[in-house]
Amino acid sequence: MATINLVDLKKNYGNVPAVKGINLQVADGELIVLVGPSGCGKSTLLRMVAGLETVTSGRIEIGGKDVVKAEPAERDIAMVFQNYALYPHMSVRGNLEYGLKNRGTPRGEIDRRVQEAADILEIGPLLDRKPRQLSGGQRQRVAMGRAIVREPAAFLFDEPLSNLDAKLRVQMRVEIRKLQRRLKTTSLYVTHDQLEAMTLADRLVVMNGGLVEQIGTPTEVYDRPATLFVAGFIGSPPMNLIEVSSVANKNSIGTLPAKTDIIGIRPDALFIAPQEGASISLKGSVELLEPIGGESHVHVRLDSSGQSVVLSIPGRPHLEEGADITLHARLADIHPYNSDTGRRTDSPVANL
Amino acid sequence: MQTKRTIFPNKLLPYALLAPQLAVTLIFFIWPAGQAVKSSFEREDPFGFRTTFIWFENYARLFSEPGYVNSLTKTAIFAISVTLLSMSLSLLLAVAVNRVIRTNRAYTTLLVWPYAVAPVVVGILWWFMFNPTIGIAPYLLRGLGISWNHRVDGTQAMILVVIAASWKQISYNFLFFVAGLQSVPQALNEAAAIDGAGPFKRFWTIVFPLLSPTTFFLLIVNINYAMFDTFGLIDATTNGGPNQATNILVYKVYADGFLGLNIGSSAAQSVVLMLIVIALTAIQFRYVERRVQY
Amino acid sequence: MVENRPWLSFLTHLVLIAGVVIVVFPVYLAFIASTHGSGDFMRGLVPLLPGPHMLENYGRMLNEGISTAGAPPVSIMLMNSTIIAIVIAVGKIAISLLSAYAIVFFKFPFRLLAFWIIFITLMLPVEVRIIPTFAVVANLGLLNSYVGLTLPLIASATATFLFRQFFLTVPDELMEAARVDGAGPMKFFRDILIPLSRTNIAALFVILFIYGWVQYLWPLLVTTDSRYYTVVMGIKRLAATADAEPLWNLVMASVILAMLPPVLVVIFMQRLFVKGLVDTEK
Repeated sequence: MATINLVDLKKNYGNVPAVKGINLQVADGELIVLVGPSGCGKSTLLRMVAGLETVTSGRIEIGGKDVVKAEPAERDIAMVFQNYALYPHMSVRGNLEYGLKNRGTPRGEIDRRVQEAADILEIGPLLDRKPRQLSGGQRQRVAMGRAIVREPAAFLFDEPLSNLDAKLRVQMRVEIRKLQRRLKTTSLYVTHDQLEAMTLADRLVVMNGGLVEQIGTPTEVYDRPATLFVAGFIGSPPMNLIEVSSVANKNSIGTLPAKTDIIGIRPDALFIAPQEGASISLKGSVELLEPIGGESHVHVRLDSSGQSVVLSIPGRPHLEEGADITLHARLADIHPYNSDTGRRTDSPVANL
Repeated sequence: MQTKRTIFPNKLLPYALLAPQLAVTLIFFIWPAGQAVKSSFEREDPFGFRTTFIWFENYARLFSEPGYVNSLTKTAIFAISVTLLSMSLSLLLAVAVNRVIRTNRAYTTLLVWPYAVAPVVVGILWWFMFNPTIGIAPYLLRGLGISWNHRVDGTQAMILVVIAASWKQISYNFLFFVAGLQSVPQALNEAAAIDGAGPFKRFWTIVFPLLSPTTFFLLIVNINYAMFDTFGLIDATTNGGPNQATNILVYKVYADGFLGLNIGSSAAQSVVLMLIVIALTAIQFRYVERRVQY
Repeated sequence: MVENRPWLSFLTHLVLIAGVVIVVFPVYLAFIASTHGSGDFMRGLVPLLPGPHMLENYGRMLNEGISTAGAPPVSIMLMNSTIIAIVIAVGKIAISLLSAYAIVFFKFPFRLLAFWIIFITLMLPVEVRIIPTFAVVANLGLLNSYVGLTLPLIASATATFLFRQFFLTVPDELMEAARVDGAGPMKFFRDILIPLSRTNIAALFVILFIYGWVQYLWPLLVTTDSRYYTVVMGIKRLAATADAEPLWNLVMASVILAMLPPVLVVIFMQRLFVKGLVDTEK
């Protein structure tokens, strides 16, 4: 049980900055998800916390102790790797025990912890098998088990689910969430999958280009993306970002905050029918209709700018590809941005 | 040069880990090689009291000595003959083994073991077969009207060492050709068959060109083998004779250095040999870097 | 095979059988010779069928040797060869594992230099630097000793490169996981890396055992005491006298004995042997 505190953490590879100054406070028992595109520095950040990358400048405190100079083994952390990194020549039991043995844990205690972890993860029958005899999902569990038996101050997850197929990934995602709730171990979790990030996180840290774009609960981040980057990254299909100049009924735009030149509208906030109250409308033609089961995604090319926008509507609308269409959105659903700063033009979002 | 993404931070440990290898290398490889280079530029007086630095005199003398030029020629003839003979036999056998399916492993086992026979033992085996008094080969050749005595006839002696050296190398070449053949995609063969190419045409137009990295690699390895690994073989069959007909470079450097005790000349010969190995290694690494994939 | 042509299959087997005959015949002849009495070689042609003296010839060579030819009993030489081949193989593997580990898992000043020094050994076979190397070994007082027979041969660029290649394919995360699990460098080496290299070590052992066994020039130089003779060089001494007195049966018995161990290794560990051979040349 511990807090993690990152203070102005930086990492350069030669002259190339990978992490450009990160401040983050993780509360005890919290699950923080670091999310962002590849190359955003999220994995580097996690590996710095683990002690697998050197720190260029800044501080890392785990449980109040500065660990910047400490070996990974001295940091009281456990890590789950993307490819699981199970020792191929050791049995599952051997894998679970290895870290405890290296620490000189007494035999009885080792057995108790291994048994407990095996019970939690339901891998008891697998204990004497070798990793190559296990399925992907089972290996994943063993990798988790190796972290659990250590009873560390913090779990570090480096894209632990990305080697699993889609169905298993959803299932394991739920299990990781339940497990973390149950053990209440402070966790840092890295993923590039924004859906995984949304469903797992107590708080999300959206990263881009070595910097934090936004920190907040999943709903905060979804409801009020602080920057254009976050707006485009979180949500699927992504938010439509439209230049103000392409909006058809210009008179309604007067009510947008000053300096707004881009507005963001989520696909589910665009409608075919005119809306009550203050709203804007966009004219275009239907380019493509994607029925995806319970809802449909309609790709519409705007007449004014030629830009393509997506709306998601329930059911299967009767639309012809190529037909003219007018889209409507309530003013309350519009996210105003300035393209120069990349930030919201209404009240700023606190990054805590 | 590549390392791991994360590395161990220890400062002294890597040196300790490298120490044994480096110590052996420096004491038994680098230092003696340096000594050879040094003495190749020196002359020692007959009593070994004084050495004089004489620039390239040893080399100049070496290359003007008919015995050495003869040795160079014999080495070239020997290396080229062994390479061609052994590689063509091996390729034939590899292609054949690649065509059979069920008995594949049995044939392979029967063909690969000569790799483990020491060159000097190979020499003795063939020396026995070609022994002018009791050997089976001279007996059969007499039936053909050929009188065999490699102790007198230099050409026959060369033929004997070439055959013996090639025999030993068949297994090695065979294994690499088989590996090379297996890496030729079967689909290409099938496509060519559909295009109407018969088995022989397919081999020469599809398989053989695709095999060229293996062939080139083996070319270098075989030359290297014939030049440097055949000391024992020569020593057991002809002792470099008759009349220096099979006195190849590695044999001569030994004979001159240990039996003739001519340090300066022997050192110069060593240096020439080193340059040859360096050239062969450089060619191998320069052109054969990305070879056949297994 | 794309098409089925009976004559082609026939030809294929014919080629292979001819190949096997070429490869086997010299050894067959040697074996036959080793089963005859010494008088059988007077008649002008070697016998082609086994004779009745096999046990007698082998027994004599194993237990007594031929003292007039300066050859000790073959059993002693076989023992020496075994010791030397194993020491060379194990030594090469051990120091190469260590140096490859240093080069792949650590960064330190002069790493590249160390790599090149090791690389150079590829270009300096013993045949090329015999006299000065002999001088070094003589000066160190290592003539006529197992150390002198083995130590100068155990530097190995090939083995180091092989392990380096293999280590580079070991996932980074394995080492990271081990560090998080509290394993230091030597513990990781012993607990994780060595067990993972088992197959490579075994394959290399087969190749290097053969390498050590067939050494001829080096033992010839550094041993004058027959207690340290290896079988491969001892045979040469025997053969040199065979022309004078017809001891063909005895010489060939020792030839067979000298070939047998490494050949059996190749035949029974064929898979490892092929892997070792192909890997070391990569």
